Amino acid sequence: MEDLKQKLKVQIIEALNLQDTRPEDIDDNAPLFGEGLGLDSIDSLELMVLLERHYQIKVEDPREGRKILQSVQSMAEFIQSKQPA
Amino acid sequence: MKGKYYIQGLAAITPQHTFEGNLFSQPLVSTGSNVFAVTEPDYKTFIPANSLRRISRLLKMGLTTALKCMQDSGLSVPDAIVTGTGKGSLQDTERFLKDIRQYEERALNPTPFIQSTYNAVNGMIAVQQQVTTYNNTFVHRGFSFESALLDSMLLLEEGVSHTLTGAFDEISAEHFYIKSRIGHWKKEMVNSAELYNHLSPGTISGEGAVFFTLTAAPTAQSYARVAGLKMLYKPSLTALTTGLATFLSQYGLSAKDIDLVITGRNGDNNFEHYYRQLDLGLPQVSQLPFKHLCGEYETVGAFALWLGAHMLKAQQVPQQWFPMVSQFPATLNRILIYNHFFGDQHTFILLERTAAPAV
Repeated sequence: MEDLKQKLKVQIIEALNLQDTRPEDIDDNAPLFGEGLGLDSIDSLELMVLLERHYQIKVEDPREGRKILQSVQSMAEFIQSKQPA
Repeated sequence: MKGKYYIQGLAAITPQHTFEGNLFSQPLVSTGSNVFAVTEPDYKTFIPANSLRRISRLLKMGLTTALKCMQDSGLSVPDAIVTGTGKGSLQDTERFLKDIRQYEERALNPTPFIQSTYNAVNGMIAVQQQVTTYNNTFVHRGFSFESALLDSMLLLEEGVSHTLTGAFDEISAEHFYIKSRIGHWKKEMVNSAELYNHLSPGTISGEGAVFFTLTAAPTAQSYARVAGLKMLYKPSLTALTTGLATFLSQYGLSAKDIDLVITGRNGDNNFEHYYRQLDLGLPQVSQLPFKHLCGEYETVGAFALWLGAHMLKAQQVPQQWFPMVSQFPATLNRILIYNHFFGDQHTFILLERTAAPAV
């Protein structure tokens, strides 16, 4: 799980071009939108694309997406839940 | 068109140091790679960091130039935003197309698609400046900027107080390669400063963003007056000569009334005959070629207009940029710009000093 969260942080920084942010600056449980990283709706689309490209997970329901993209922790938990045991 | 259209503010990001400082003391920048890239300013002063991380190079160039232009004219909300671009954001277009192939038309990122649309720069200016009025982008190859200029002149004619009028284009390695296959660029590497000494097939590529604020009434700060504009599509040499004579006579002018011609000469011997034809129609008139400063691209006419406007206001030529020219006119009242894009789209722009004496 720790490795996945670390990898996810690197991928988020790259996908959203967060130039002045390092992986260690992102708290696992900090909200990605509004406070925390201060991302917006276009970023949420980019994060959906990230999940599809890197983890082959397609989020169809926007309400589900809101919960998944709450934090790095929630994203990692969702990815893990979708991976074969 | 015989209306009065004044350049009230301007700004440019080009391969030369044109964004800040006094252009009359800026050194000549040259390249030996046949690709003339712009000298980029620090965008952070103009664009919020959260937007900056998302937008691509051409959008940064276009938006920043537009904002700087408005600063220069003291205007923050123009009555209209009218621009021209030949290619739009190539970086985004290429990224989007590569993604389609790589991800087999799935998992496509929306940002490069949104930004690859030609009117993305206009949209960003409108959002940042809260402009909800007329907003239009023309994409007509070598007539793109000139169409935007014509539209702006018509808007001013109809009573609009001011327009933000501009042009932007970029070059990428991939696009340079594509256009090299249809002979746009020289096969041999040429130093841009020596461009006119290398008459051979093709030219050097370039890019840039230039914006103007146009108004219907002059002020003490006005740079120059756009007195006329004419576009000719694939004219014969005879039609070009006739077109020039008609254009000048329309304003009661002849060759002797023109102090300087800014020509789009670019060292390409496939199309040099058009410029030679122009020489015949304008004997004894001083000429300034400008493509060694910015390279060739669809909206390069905006660079020529920017240069001419500066020279008319300052009543001097940035001589350090023109080592190939031995004599410069003492006074500048009227400048004629003649340019064409690979022989297809030909344009004449007549530019006058704001208080030019009547002919």
